[in-house]
Amino acid sequence: MTGTMRELQFLAKDRAVLLWLGIALLVTGLSVLLGLGEVASERAIISELIDIDRAEREAQRELHRDWGSTAYYTFHLTYDAPSDFAFAALGMRDTSPWKHSIRALALEGQIYETDADNPDFALIGRFDFAFVAAMLAPLLLILLLHDVRSRERAAGRYELLSAVAASPGSPWLVRAALRAVALALCLIVPLVAGGMLADAGASELVLASLIVALHIGFWWGVCALVDRFCWSSPVNLTALIGAWLALAVIAPAVMRSAVESATRLPDGGELMLVQREAVNDAWDLPKSATMEAFVERHPQWAAYTEVSQPFEWKWYYAFQQVGDQTVEPLSHAYREGRIRRDELAAKLAWFSPPTLVTRILQDIAGTSMKDSLDYEQRVRDFHAVLRDYYYPRLFRDEAFTDESLGERPEWSTLPSPGR
Amino acid sequence: MMSGLLSIARAEWQFWLRSRLAVGALLIFALLLVATSLVTALRMSNAQHERAHQQTAAEETFLSQPDRHPHRMVHYGHYVFRIPPPLSIIDPGVDSVTGQSMFLEGHRQNTAMFADARASAELGGFETLTAALAYQLFLPLLLIAIGHGLIIREREENTLAPLLAHGVTGIQLYFAKWMALAGASLAMLLPLAVMCAYAFFQDSAPLASAGVIGIYALYLLVWCSLILLVSSVVRSRSLSLGILALVWLSAALIVPRIAVESASSAVPAPGKLETDYNMQAELREVGDGHDAGTPRFLQLQADLLAEYDATRLEDLPVNFRGVVAQVAEADLTEVMNRHADARMALEADQARIAASFGWLSPVVAVSAGSRALAGTDLATHHQFLRKAEAVRFDFVQGLNRVHTEQLAYSDDINRSTDAEAERRARMSADNWNVLDQFVFKPDAGGERLARAYQPFAMLIAWLLVLSAIGIRIARRVQP
Repeated sequence: MTGTMRELQFLAKDRAVLLWLGIALLVTGLSVLLGLGEVASERAIISELIDIDRAEREAQRELHRDWGSTAYYTFHLTYDAPSDFAFAALGMRDTSPWKHSIRALALEGQIYETDADNPDFALIGRFDFAFVAAMLAPLLLILLLHDVRSRERAAGRYELLSAVAASPGSPWLVRAALRAVALALCLIVPLVAGGMLADAGASELVLASLIVALHIGFWWGVCALVDRFCWSSPVNLTALIGAWLALAVIAPAVMRSAVESATRLPDGGELMLVQREAVNDAWDLPKSATMEAFVERHPQWAAYTEVSQPFEWKWYYAFQQVGDQTVEPLSHAYREGRIRRDELAAKLAWFSPPTLVTRILQDIAGTSMKDSLDYEQRVRDFHAVLRDYYYPRLFRDEAFTDESLGERPEWSTLPSPGR
Repeated sequence: MMSGLLSIARAEWQFWLRSRLAVGALLIFALLLVATSLVTALRMSNAQHERAHQQTAAEETFLSQPDRHPHRMVHYGHYVFRIPPPLSIIDPGVDSVTGQSMFLEGHRQNTAMFADARASAELGGFETLTAALAYQLFLPLLLIAIGHGLIIREREENTLAPLLAHGVTGIQLYFAKWMALAGASLAMLLPLAVMCAYAFFQDSAPLASAGVIGIYALYLLVWCSLILLVSSVVRSRSLSLGILALVWLSAALIVPRIAVESASSAVPAPGKLETDYNMQAELREVGDGHDAGTPRFLQLQADLLAEYDATRLEDLPVNFRGVVAQVAEADLTEVMNRHADARMALEADQARIAASFGWLSPVVAVSAGSRALAGTDLATHHQFLRKAEAVRFDFVQGLNRVHTEQLAYSDDINRSTDAEAERRARMSADNWNVLDQFVFKPDAGGERLARAYQPFAMLIAWLLVLSAIGIRIARRVQP
């Protein structure tokens, strides 16, 4: 025990160690604060959008008094509010939309729009806790641990210290352990503090802390492994940074290319072209062709497919639907492909601990690729509900009343996923 | 004199070649650079071909549409694809995050769709390992690994005193070591130079290609000076390596992201969705071009009737619905462009703030400069958006002109109920040639070079300051 106390005193006096730890604390604190700020601003944007969206729909209600043009002109806001833990891992929210407004026209023409931030930002990436924990923490640990033994060796004290110690490895083990634990605390304390500010669940915080600790443990193991070769400090450090480069940068990049060539996606541009052709060709096709294709999926409207005018709204919405149906195989393939890519990435992530940490933190925060795909699916579901609302009104030519309009589904009243 | 310097530098190179660690690191990095360069080049040139092909196909499809009502073509719309410029094989820049295709149609400005980043596998780390990233972030690590002991080693191995005793001055030693490290870094530029040459044969923008080589060379020299400076001030290799690792950590990983965070909080820019919503009220004022019955268009109707001394719309020499469509599109576009311009100005402000962090980190400076020179920066993306909007407006108004001048008003209003009128309301497909061919090229090399002046200035300032301090210290070097 006295050995540990003595090492603790050494640590408290070692300026280099204190510098690395101070930096760790500083960057973690900063990343947590920035994450909290980002989540707050996303929430503010969502609540502002909800108000605008409501006012906008009110305005549309005054302008249009029939089902066809109401469905055509009214946009519906959908959004994916950040979770209470999202501050720690902003994840896919950077490049994928978390707010989207749609209307009852063909969905495939709307769903892929990006409403991203400044592209320069998405390119460089955000400074969130996940980045600090996954990418920076290993480097800081490497800087802390690379010379635990080699420095004493260089100073000529190694043999003496080893000889007088209770067991051969103990002083080094204690020293390294103290530094690793101190670093872990520098990460976990700001995280937990931020989590408490953000009302994040205790289980999420415990799980995230555990992941961070395990990650640091892994890199400690790597440092210990390199240390066994008895190289000098500079060689140790170079080798360790090389290991970091291989595991944190090169491995993910190689795996990404591998995943992308293993699961080909249909080309987005082609998807759009097919969709447009399908929707626009309908204008020139006999109306019965559209209505037949429509009824295949919606047999309940088979009795209402008579179109006598050159333009009728129900026919218009029917060909919007048929347009989506035509592009469905491609759209499915695009979606399935992205899901498969994500599943493959989840498996490969085990080869790169920093990647694994990033992905797990994103999972906890609800900001992973899967969450982004889930949101897309919820938008699709909402769009389907919207269509189900309009179809009886359009096909049965129901009267346009405020009461009936009041039954229109809203995003906020849809059941949200259990989070 | 010069031969003396060269022989010290040559001794350093020989030392690296004898050291297994240095040789290993050099080989691994050379491999990394060549591999990422090849992969990036292949990926981007595939994208170039694919999108060029899609662009041609989209134009052909538009032109081969059958006879129909011109407003149908307004909604049929058109696609434009952003074809990556030749130098994107080095630095794809914002290409992967901005989406590659855009749908152009009447009454709306759409965003670009299908950003690679949304469909790629999420594996953390860096978005994609490009050649640019390998040069900007990882090559300095190699230079640190081989260069951190440049002067310290002479001290530690007790060769510094004999060197100085032989009449080598501190400054000569400094220059010799600098040459040794700079020589190694410039050798590493070879894959980059090959790619620049390749890009030059594709678009013959010699200034841009030369600029890319220049800015990366300058950038590496900044690191050389920094490494040499630390190596001459610090007394132990271990400490020197620690300090340089810390500098790299902050310059390459921390400062760029802090720059992003600062820019986004200094200039909050509303997203496209907010902009669209905020625009809605204004757009309602303009009026819906599909509905000639709104008050604003009734006024227009009265004016037109008075101008042509007619009493019925049918008697006008032009199709009133077409006139309304034209007027509405013009006003609508004015509103949309105003909002789009405001948004782009905010984004440009953000980019400017982020780029000013180049005074704190050469990594920020070189990445901004590299994107500007490669034609893959935010400014070029904005130009693409503007150009696409110009094409959109031209073809929509071209079709509206056909609507106004060639389609009889009586046929137009009766086409929803009268099949004969509907047939007559179909205009000849010859009219679809109002669509311009979409050719988007980034600025000429000279302009891109001018846009990269600030990053160049930053890197030159870095180089001068670091070398000046280095020389001052070298002058007083003692064993």
